[in-house]
Amino acid sequence: MSQGVYFDDVAVGMDIPAVSKGPLTTAHVVRWSAAMENWAPIHYDWRYATEHDGLPDVLVNGSWKQHVMMQALADWAGDTGWLWKMKFQYRGMTVPGDTVTAWARVIGASERGAFGVCDLDIGLRDQKGVETSPGTASVVLPRRGGPSVPYPFDPQLLA
Amino acid sequence: MVGNYITDAVREIIGKQSDWIEASHPVESSEVRRFFQAIMDSNRRYWDKGYAAETRYGSPVTPPGFPVHAFRRPSEQTDDPFDNRSDPEFDGSGRYMRLGLPKVPVPLAGILNGGYEYEFYSYAKMGERIRCRSTYRDIYQRNGKSGTMVMVVIEDEYATDTGRLLLKSLNTQIMR
Repeated sequence: MSQGVYFDDVAVGMDIPAVSKGPLTTAHVVRWSAAMENWAPIHYDWRYATEHDGLPDVLVNGSWKQHVMMQALADWAGDTGWLWKMKFQYRGMTVPGDTVTAWARVIGASERGAFGVCDLDIGLRDQKGVETSPGTASVVLPRRGGPSVPYPFDPQLLA
Repeated sequence: MVGNYITDAVREIIGKQSDWIEASHPVESSEVRRFFQAIMDSNRRYWDKGYAAETRYGSPVTPPGFPVHAFRRPSEQTDDPFDNRSDPEFDGSGRYMRLGLPKVPVPLAGILNGGYEYEFYSYAKMGERIRCRSTYRDIYQRNGKSGTMVMVVIEDEYATDTGRLLLKSLNTQIMR
C-alpha cells in the first residue's frame, strides 16, 4: 500500500513532487491516439496538422496531458488519501520534442471532520517553462494517527 | 459583422440529457495495460493483484481518469472510421461530442478541448462495466480578437453497472 502524506505534514506554500514525461515523440502521441481510437489527423498527420490547420507540428493530445497531472496528485495522496477535485484549462500546445512536468503547490489547508483538505494550484509546464494547463485541485488527506480517507470517497464525510 | 450562432436550434438542445450508456465491453486488464503504458504511469495498483489486494481497492483498479476514455466502438459497429478521411474536416469522430447527444448545430469547422473540471469518487475495477450519462449544461458564444467561438459545456456522470459513482466532469468544448 502506498502511504501518502499526512495532513499534519502539509504547509501552505509547499510543492508536491513533480512528475515529468519526455522528451515526447510522435510515437508517444500515436500510442495514445491508437489506445483511444482517436483518429483526428492533427495527432499523427504532420502535413495535415501544419498545412491544413496551420499548427507548428502534430499535437500531443490534451486528453493525454491531463493524466500526467492526475498521476502527480493521486501519487501524492497515496492509497490513504484521495484526489477529490481537479480543474484545469488547456491553454497551450505541446508538440513532439517537448518534456512536460506536472506540478502542484498547496495554497490552502483546512481541517474537515477527521480529515484535512488541501487546495492546490496545479499545472503542466513544458521544458521552456511555458504553462499549458493551469488549474486547481483539492486533495483529502488523513491526520497522523487517524483513519485513512474512506473508500469509495463520499464528500459528505467532510461535513 | 459577427454572426449569432446561438440559434433557437442550439438553445433547444441546452439541457438535453442522454440516457445512461454502457461501454461496449467490461473493463479488461489488457486494455488497462495499454492505457497506463500510454500515459506512462505504471502504478502497481493498476496491474499487481497481490499489491492491490493489500490496498483499500482489494484488486487492481484503473487510473483515475480512465472512465472518460472507456467507450470503444462496439464490435458490431463495423463501418470504417477512416471512410470519411477524404473530408478535409475529418476529425475521426463524426463531430459527435458525446454518445447519446445530438450534434451541436453550429457551422464552425474546428473543435478544441477547452478543459475539464473533475470530481472523483472511486476507481473502476477489472470486469466492471462503466456507464455514462451526459448533459449539455450550457452553450454560449464569445466574440474575441481571434474570432468567434462557441463554448459547449458538457456534464458527464460515470458510474459502474452496479451504480457505484466513479466520477463527474464538466468539459468545455470550443467550436471555432
